[in-house]
Amino acid sequence: MEDIFGQLSQQAINGITIGGVYALIAIGYTMVYGVLSMLNFAHGELYMIGGFTGWWVLQIFSINHVPVMNAALLISLMIILSMGMSALLGLVIERIAYRPLRNAPRMNLLLSSLGVSIFIQNFILYFQGAKVKVFHVSQLIPESIRVFHVGGVVISFMRIMVIMTCFVLMILLTLVIKKTNIGKSIRATAQDIEAAAFMGIDTDKIIVIVFLIGSALGGAAGILVSLLFTQVDYYVGFQAGLKGFTAAVLGGIGSIPGAMAGGLLLGICEAMAVTFFPSAYKDVVAFTILILVLIFRPQGLMGEKIREKV
Amino acid sequence: MMKKIIILLFAVFFLFIGQTVSANDVAKGISVGNAGSFTGDAAAPCMEIFNSSQMAVDEWNAKGGIQGVKIKHVMGDDALDPAQGIKVARKFTSDNKMYGVVGPPVSHIAQASLKIYGQNDLACITTAASKPELTESGYKHFFRVNARNDAHGWNTALFIKNTLKAKKVAVLNEKVAYCQNMAQETIKGLKQLGITDIMNDTIVAGAKDYSAVLTKVKAFNPDVLFFIATTAPDQAIGVRQAKELGIDAIFFGTEGARDKKDFIEASEGAAQGAYVYHFSPDIYSIKEAEAYVKNYEKKYGTLSGFGPPAYEAMNILLSAIDMAAKDGKISRSEVISKLSAIKNYKGILGFPISFDEKGDLLGGATYFFKVNGNDFEQVAVLTGK
Repeated sequence: MEDIFGQLSQQAINGITIGGVYALIAIGYTMVYGVLSMLNFAHGELYMIGGFTGWWVLQIFSINHVPVMNAALLISLMIILSMGMSALLGLVIERIAYRPLRNAPRMNLLLSSLGVSIFIQNFILYFQGAKVKVFHVSQLIPESIRVFHVGGVVISFMRIMVIMTCFVLMILLTLVIKKTNIGKSIRATAQDIEAAAFMGIDTDKIIVIVFLIGSALGGAAGILVSLLFTQVDYYVGFQAGLKGFTAAVLGGIGSIPGAMAGGLLLGICEAMAVTFFPSAYKDVVAFTILILVLIFRPQGLMGEKIREKV
Repeated sequence: MMKKIIILLFAVFFLFIGQTVSANDVAKGISVGNAGSFTGDAAAPCMEIFNSSQMAVDEWNAKGGIQGVKIKHVMGDDALDPAQGIKVARKFTSDNKMYGVVGPPVSHIAQASLKIYGQNDLACITTAASKPELTESGYKHFFRVNARNDAHGWNTALFIKNTLKAKKVAVLNEKVAYCQNMAQETIKGLKQLGITDIMNDTIVAGAKDYSAVLTKVKAFNPDVLFFIATTAPDQAIGVRQAKELGIDAIFFGTEGARDKKDFIEASEGAAQGAYVYHFSPDIYSIKEAEAYVKNYEKKYGTLSGFGPPAYEAMNILLSAIDMAAKDGKISRSEVISKLSAIKNYKGILGFPISFDEKGDLLGGATYFFKVNGNDFEQVAVLTGK
């Protein structure tokens, strides 16, 4: 019995780590959906770009896998530049692929985002190749603090860092949305884009800001996972995007706290499921939960009921 | 009128049939194909296969080719995707100057495409595909220079019991043809040897996060963790996350992990002391292979285990084509019959090669390696005993 408890607490740690990452990705989906009512299928690729940017930063600032600067500084630099690069790309995508279609049927936007996703994937495949890029991170963290033992549970330094960064980013985002003027404008735009425009809010600017924040968080998720699992390739965005999207729907699409809760719930359920079922079925369990939630609470865990607009 | 058209159609039809069956002039040209996953996660071992085959072709051409005709070596990339593998098979079989193919090296891609090669009588020699069913399907055109999974599984079970002295074994497999089958064969062997305390679970290729299933392995507390995945990067993550979780079982990887860069280097120390099995021997210890090793390293850099069987396979294929072309005429079916007649071919692998009636290697062996520093050290060779 003690065995199963030890195992479950270890799985909880595994689940919270990956769940936090799902939450960061889900926020991007949910924010864009909130203001534009569209699913940005290219979001997973921003995650992948975040991973690749981090790899290049690590590559440039280390010689023979030994970093040339302070490790903490290098990790921060990787995270910040990855977020920056993904944010930049998010802006470019919005400008080129979505803004010209702002007044077109929603289906066109959806197809456009699929096209962008395929383009970015193949662009990276062409210029970076299909082989995985390996992060040589052992020189970044001193041997003595690499792994911690708490009871029977093992937590690596990287996991702690990933969990902390996820939560710090989520708290910062919540503060921005709740306390600042920009946050208020985002909420207003999400509630009713036309009314917000009447009230003097520059909705185009708000949409740009939403893409900026969502993409940056996606990029952060990408580099955090790459640091944790030490590999990135051109195809990682697909799976991550799917999981992030599921988390967003689970939490109630359009709701930021919902995306956070949905991500964590999905991550923990997946990890716990492996304890009781063969590990190949973990996605089956995750999606079964999604289906059940949607049957009994179609608006998601924290979503608001959407009234049909007449 | 109608009758005339039908007769005409029949004439054209027979003309076609006649063309594919009758022998070609050797002087028209000779091509050999190389089917493999030259891009994607298996690119490193597959490029080693291609480069080694290329060396064999170059050497034949330097000696004057076949009946004075220079041999053309064509690459067919399937990117580790069965659908692409079928396209490669169609491309190769429709090339009427092509008389044989080295590959495909990956079992599930071979499984998808072998039928097409067979329908067109095009000989295939694989250098790595090890799923037993591939030669159990009654194909006449398919040969392999590597041992099958049932041999590897049994040998691995023997090694785990006798050398690693394990009593409890965890087996994880990625759900594709080769991995699933290797897991089955190994578990069957372990049970025959009296090891019944076995955990059997699955992983997903490319998932990059195996911590959940490894947590389960840790709770099981095995003596040996047999991690059956296709590619080296996935196994590097596996060994790394196993060490991170504090699993002290011996990590045992597959042939795909015999890759210095993508397994030993990529795992940054976690792979020290890990074992892998492989279908080809440590080529550096074989006297007959000295020239090959020297030339390969001069031209392409370091060598793992995938190159030597490919060099051997291409040489065997070209010998068969050479024999078939002796009379100045050659056909694909002639090449197949010459191949099945190969007996005790002595090349660089350190053992003579003969094929049985299914196209399998007679007396295949499994080689075991231990990671020591930045290299693999051969620790055992087992042949089923």
